[in-house]
Amino acid sequence: MKRIIAGLMILLVTGVASAKVDLTTIPTRDTVQLTIYNSADLTLVRESRALTLAEGANALQFSWANTLIDPTSLEMLPKAHAAEIDIAELVFPPRVKNLGLWNVESEVSGKVPVEISYLTSGLTWRAFYMGTLSQDEKTMRLQGYVRVTNNSGEDYENAQTRLVVGKVHILDQIGELASRQYAYGRPDEVGARPPVPSAPHPVKLKRAAMRDLRMMAEAAPMMAAKGVIKEGLSEYFLYTIEGTETIPTGWSKRLQSFDVEGIPVVNLYKYEEERYGDRVVRFLSFANDEEHELGETPIPDGTLKVYRTADEQNHLAYEGQSSFKYIPVGEEVELSLGAMADVVVEPTLMEVKTDNYRFDKDRNISGWDDIATWKVEVRNTRAVPVKIEIRRNFDSSYWDLARNGQVDAFEKVDLDTVKFTIELAPRSKRTFEYTLTTYRGVRTEDWTRRSR
Amino acid sequence: MNGKRLILLAIVVLLAVAPMASARIKLVALPERAATVIRLDNPNATLIEEERVLTLQKGLNKVDFSWKGVQIDEDSIRLDVLDHPEGVNLLSVSYPPDEAALVWEISSGGNYAETVRISYLLRNIDRLITYKAIADKAETQVGLRSYLVLRNFSGEDFEKARVLLDYGEAFEQGIDHEETKRMLFLKAPKVPIRKIWTFDAAQLPWDPERLENQNVGIPVSYRIVNDAASGLGQFAMWGGKARIFQDDGHESTIFLGEDNAPLVPVGEKMELYIGDSRDIVVTQRKMKDTRINLRKNDAGRIVLYDTDELITAKIENFKDSPATLTMIQHIEGQWDMKKCNLECKRKDASTLEFEIELPARTEEGPAVKELSMHYHRRNVRTR
Repeated sequence: MKRIIAGLMILLVTGVASAKVDLTTIPTRDTVQLTIYNSADLTLVRESRALTLAEGANALQFSWANTLIDPTSLEMLPKAHAAEIDIAELVFPPRVKNLGLWNVESEVSGKVPVEISYLTSGLTWRAFYMGTLSQDEKTMRLQGYVRVTNNSGEDYENAQTRLVVGKVHILDQIGELASRQYAYGRPDEVGARPPVPSAPHPVKLKRAAMRDLRMMAEAAPMMAAKGVIKEGLSEYFLYTIEGTETIPTGWSKRLQSFDVEGIPVVNLYKYEEERYGDRVVRFLSFANDEEHELGETPIPDGTLKVYRTADEQNHLAYEGQSSFKYIPVGEEVELSLGAMADVVVEPTLMEVKTDNYRFDKDRNISGWDDIATWKVEVRNTRAVPVKIEIRRNFDSSYWDLARNGQVDAFEKVDLDTVKFTIELAPRSKRTFEYTLTTYRGVRTEDWTRRSR
Repeated sequence: MNGKRLILLAIVVLLAVAPMASARIKLVALPERAATVIRLDNPNATLIEEERVLTLQKGLNKVDFSWKGVQIDEDSIRLDVLDHPEGVNLLSVSYPPDEAALVWEISSGGNYAETVRISYLLRNIDRLITYKAIADKAETQVGLRSYLVLRNFSGEDFEKARVLLDYGEAFEQGIDHEETKRMLFLKAPKVPIRKIWTFDAAQLPWDPERLENQNVGIPVSYRIVNDAASGLGQFAMWGGKARIFQDDGHESTIFLGEDNAPLVPVGEKMELYIGDSRDIVVTQRKMKDTRINLRKNDAGRIVLYDTDELITAKIENFKDSPATLTMIQHIEGQWDMKKCNLECKRKDASTLEFEIELPARTEEGPAVKELSMHYHRRNVRTR
């Protein structure tokens, strides 16, 4: 941090604020804490310094050229003698950019620890994952990583680093506030506040059993293992990395957040014509709970690359990539790996007919039934068992459905959607049929009477 | 205010009335500005009041008031005589062509050193209010601070002025052109808050499963009441940006979010939206929507009918703490509820509000509540 916020100067003031008398000291920063968000380009920086105050009026000058600090977020709090130190005002002087002046009335003289906090842009983090399926695809090893990037313009040395998982609401982009000519803008400016929170990259994770968070330089594998403190605060999760980190501006660091083996997974395939077309989409399904070796904290959203152990020599096959949403503790997750050709669902319309015509007093048709019989063939060409969900959407909420053949579960999802679930053994197929009767015109009245 | 640079007041004393010359003679005397007041009680305009002592001679006097580099609303300029209101009359106000100026024609009954107050609306000087609230770890109260931010981009330096807000004591403050000053002006250490999660069925997606890799965030707000019980209630709280932090229990804080606080009169509530919860999941579905009680015209066409509708919602709390979800449902038109398994409050003709208590999740999984709302819409006309 020395590069940028070098200028915390104390000016002794006599009389009114304009008479700056003396530059007494430039205190160094004692500690720094970074709290980095990933749902917005936002970091809360908290640093402590020991200022030497004189009794009476003091002016403390703080400058931050070439950084992305939001000046409206600047705060200073004395950590001792709070009752005797009055931070009267923060002044952003005319015609000077990136400089603030605290006018402080002190009843004490000597060293006083203060805490300076502010929001900055340019520090980000994101979560990403690697999944490795066992050969039988029944279990998966899941490795979670976070990558912290510092483009803030400031070197943060030996900073306590904390990562926040959560969707924070902000009105202004911090980078935009940082680049303003005047800290609070001008009264005649219009539209200086576009409230666009950036897209979230949720954060990370970890499971119950794993507590080692490893810090790795990008090129060098594993250095010292570090612990992580995980705790929930309000609607967020806070991950505090043990010790301190130094992340110079322009650099990134990758942290291994967890490594869990043996997560039971289900190979789930979904078919829904209106959503996925005529292809079957593959999902890996598991839950963020203890039963699945997880469940200690939410899993932040991120991307997952899935590999499979291809042979006894542990060679890998790449299965696909998925991005997934934030997974609360206890929730089931379905990771989409994209459309696959090795599981096939083929609905075939076998018969259509109409029936039960009704006529009005002019002998025009006023109602009828559409009857359609579908045969659905489901094939699993893979060497592993799979579970398949088939959704069918109808164009009306007045319908009846009759089934033939075995399905493992059937569910009415909502008024015009049903779901068939089938579990198929390796290299097997199954066929079932259903007949859908849709009631049209005044026949809907018969349907309504019957269903009430 | 340093009047020399920007706002000029000159007096021309005319002993005889003559038509105004085209080349106006200005600057006869430059009276020093005495007390200056900056009134910021109106959020839309800033009123400046300044007092000056004019040396008036018996007879007709012309006082020239001009400005440059500042924007004064000409129609807002007023002149009030303070010492001899009976003996001094303002006769007319003239605006010279192509100049930012006006000329007062003043008739004086004697030779007076007359104190006058000049008032005008000055642009580009204003105030903002910002709030900083730090919630305790349990989220039951906040330490609330409010800051006044003075911004002066008017073109005028105010060396020393009395600043007036719409409440509280006036205070003395100098502020130069292009200067911004931020001052603490309200501190309420223990303001009770209520945390609110809101699912509005008209605003949020019903079925998270239908969204690709997106969470449906349930908006979370803090509610603060501007009353004495909150340590507030002395005056209306102005609108402004509020930033909310939370004590993390380790002598530090995290940033929870920010929102624009509206103006909150005494006794009213302020709700600050801080962020979204992704640990409460609502899956709402319409399970039935059919027409019943059909009424037809002679041609057999349905002209009027009722509906039979069923909406279900599954609410899951994945949090390790309990929460109260405010769920808003909407039913348009004339309707009656046939059966609803949860209690609700009718907010208006088409809005229902449910307060749903959600326990914390257990080892078995999330806490789940189900809403089932079976209702009929009545007398729906066929279009």
